[in-house]
Amino acid sequence: MSKLSTLQRGQLAAQAAPPGGAARPAAVAGTARRWLTHPAVAAVVALALVLLPFTGQDKFVLSVAVTTFITAIAAASLHLIVRTGHVSLGHAAFMGIGAYVSALATMRLNLPFPLAVCLAFLAPAALALLVGPVVLRLTGKYFVLVTFLFGEIVRTVFVNWTEVTGGSNGIFGVPAPSPYFAEPVPFYYLALGFMLVILALIARLFNSEIGRAIEAIRESEPLARCSGVPVLRLKVTIFVLACGLAGIAGALQGHFVRYIDPTSFATDQSLTLVVINVVGGMFTLVGPILGTLFMVLLPEFLRGYVELQHVFFGVVLILVMAFFSGGIADMGQLLRRGGAKGAK
Amino acid sequence: MSASANPPSARLLEVAGLTRHFGGLKAVSDLNFHVAEREILGIIGPNGAGKTTAINLVSGVIRPSGGQVRLAGEDITGLPPHVLARKGLVRTFQSTTVYGDRTVHENAVRGAFLGLYPGFVSAFIDTPRARRMRADTERLVGELLEWLNLSEVAHLKAGSLPYGYQKTLGMVITLAAQPRIVMLDEPVAGLSAEEADHVRDTILKIRERGITVIVIDHNMRFMKGLCDRVMVMNQGHELTTGLPLEVLANPQVIEAYLGRGHAAAHRI
Amino acid sequence: MFNSAVLTQVAVDGIGLSAIYILIALGFTLLFGIMRVVNFAHGAFAMLGGYALFYLYGDWGLPYLVAAPLAALVVAAAALVLERFVYRFFYQKMFQSMIGLLGLDMAIMYLAVIAWNAEERSVPPGTEALVEVGDLVFPAQKLIIAAIAAVALLAFYLFTHYTRYGRAMRAAAQDVEIAQAQGVNSSAIYQLAFFIAVFMAALAGGFYAQTYALSPFVGEPQLMIAFVVVILGGMGSIPGVALGGLLLGLANSFLGTFYGSAASTFVTFGAVILLLIFRPWGLLGAKEA
Repeated sequence: MSKLSTLQRGQLAAQAAPPGGAARPAAVAGTARRWLTHPAVAAVVALALVLLPFTGQDKFVLSVAVTTFITAIAAASLHLIVRTGHVSLGHAAFMGIGAYVSALATMRLNLPFPLAVCLAFLAPAALALLVGPVVLRLTGKYFVLVTFLFGEIVRTVFVNWTEVTGGSNGIFGVPAPSPYFAEPVPFYYLALGFMLVILALIARLFNSEIGRAIEAIRESEPLARCSGVPVLRLKVTIFVLACGLAGIAGALQGHFVRYIDPTSFATDQSLTLVVINVVGGMFTLVGPILGTLFMVLLPEFLRGYVELQHVFFGVVLILVMAFFSGGIADMGQLLRRGGAKGAK
Repeated sequence: MSASANPPSARLLEVAGLTRHFGGLKAVSDLNFHVAEREILGIIGPNGAGKTTAINLVSGVIRPSGGQVRLAGEDITGLPPHVLARKGLVRTFQSTTVYGDRTVHENAVRGAFLGLYPGFVSAFIDTPRARRMRADTERLVGELLEWLNLSEVAHLKAGSLPYGYQKTLGMVITLAAQPRIVMLDEPVAGLSAEEADHVRDTILKIRERGITVIVIDHNMRFMKGLCDRVMVMNQGHELTTGLPLEVLANPQVIEAYLGRGHAAAHRI
Repeated sequence: MFNSAVLTQVAVDGIGLSAIYILIALGFTLLFGIMRVVNFAHGAFAMLGGYALFYLYGDWGLPYLVAAPLAALVVAAAALVLERFVYRFFYQKMFQSMIGLLGLDMAIMYLAVIAWNAEERSVPPGTEALVEVGDLVFPAQKLIIAAIAAVALLAFYLFTHYTRYGRAMRAAAQDVEIAQAQGVNSSAIYQLAFFIAVFMAALAGGFYAQTYALSPFVGEPQLMIAFVVVILGGMGSIPGVALGGLLLGLANSFLGTFYGSAASTFVTFGAVILLLIFRPWGLLGAKEA
């Protein structure tokens, strides 16, 4: 915070109380982001998604859509954690726990799908409740490292605990939620339904006073704390919620693909979720949604060149982190300020 | 500034034997002081005297190795900041004074967390109680900004304001919590003389509202013109406490700041 | 099972591993200490070092003692381009560097897949000879690796303590701004530190390729090793790297031999997590703000 000269202060004062009284509004949200989050736009998009199967799309497109919905849920759940100021490089581990729990619940305990999904939420949430209070005290870089290592440990468990998880072979023959949902179109609606509900809940959370407290925590923990915000308690609550939702995403994936592969819940997937949040925008829920679209559509453009896709992702990551820390969603704001503002 | 009478029952904050070690170093050692209600106590001392550590200990930012802190008779030793805020003890910070990217209005609202947040579930479903709390907070914030002449800049980003305004906003954030006692960490560091005078007037206004104030700073002129009493810290403990003029003329105090041998050569 | 012959063998193996670990981790900690950059692409450079050795030694048949350092030199020199175009934007920005360099790691890895395809290859050892000491038999290759690593570390120590540039680098590691104020050209120091860091990573990568295997994905385990060693010893601490490398090498050798590689992973990662929680500055690092 630099000291302004008397001249500058005078100018600012004049600006603050000009004769007309119209103060320049503080623009934290870019215009682009504002129209993206408008309820009308969201409603139109939701409607389009609901009508999609009726446009005669083939099974492949529906399948890609389902994967997109599931990824969006997982990315949005990570977004909850990111908004409190922590980046987890082990989020896919919680997805995996949800996937295994749901599969085992339906296959070995013969529980109905709704109950299995509840367990898929509760199991990773319980683990998050256990590790959260310890791990969330760590600052930025140490939290990243610990979650990274945590993800590796969980993956090692998945691969080695053969009696329960099937080891590196995974679990085959995971049943569909019910005979009705074994068909692509019904499952499409199931996944869409989950996504819309979860995104709506998360959006509501951010719009409430909880969201305000979360922002305060992320922007300045000391200030928030001294205003009475129970920082650790709130972070843990959000973390538990986020990991539970990741578990639901994992369960949906398991029952969709009908197979649980331990390597699909490893660092690669965790990194993908982080990339989605970073590239799409870390400070708004629109971010992970845009990011998921980006991550899904991109392979379609570079179809057949899997390696080039990865190279491209890598380069995009470098560019985004070097110049646009806020991600795509904040780019409108950055462009308005006249070019790269320089990463913080 | 007249010294206020200090009957024991009017002691809002009492610190006894407060100690904090860092490895082998005693940053604060057997510190004792008290503040009466509606008093403005200044804390001064050379660099490394332990002032910041002391305020961090009292405000719950770090935990004491020993000693006791009482607020209105209640033992609050070692309680974390968010609990202390609920009990009416708040503070400002020297470095992060405000939420720079947010409007002045939003900054003040965030300070009012205790009167605004109805609980996780209530906030989520927006109960009538939640709405009531929000309306009350808006009223409180409006009144605070008006009172301290920040209404006109309420919609500007805090980080774009002159430094003096930011310091004032930092105080607004604490006032929004409707505290009984406020601790200000270097409120005039880096400010010009006129800005410092403005801050002094603001603090006097705060005291008029019935709020007790503890101020830490290096600016002697500012402290002289503001505080009822001043405590001088040196090497982690209290050196002397008394009226500003007396304290600043005290040879031991001069020696603490300028080193031995200077005391005799100086008269204030 | 725990007789002295086996234990000695395990210890020597452990020291051999430690040599590689220390080389990899030293560059990593250097980049963190001086430029405050968490080099998630460090393993990629090790991997490239492996491929360089593969071509210089395995393909073109240069003598081993020439090929090993030359391979590292080639990779480090080529990497200077990346220093100018990528790393420069992340100096002193730790969080951005983590994610951004993760991206670089991905890009390099998959470019390697495009260039050399994903199949595993092997790089032949420098020599097949065996060395006998009493009852114990060691492959001469391991001793050569340990020797080269020791020479590299000694050279590094002498450089940073007795030459002008080396001392400037150490000063920068302590505090960049003070060093700059004293006239140290931080840009040149950064390039120097970067070159040395990549050189050592590539050198280690060559040894790793000879010890295990070579593929575009072989950099990932090496990155994990660098991480673990640096966290054990303390981020930014050079003696910490020696201690951490030794501990990890011996632990991996011991646990791997007697309890299998999964146990090794669990114990080392678990220890690191505990360390990060309770003593994040490592065994020898400085408690930072």
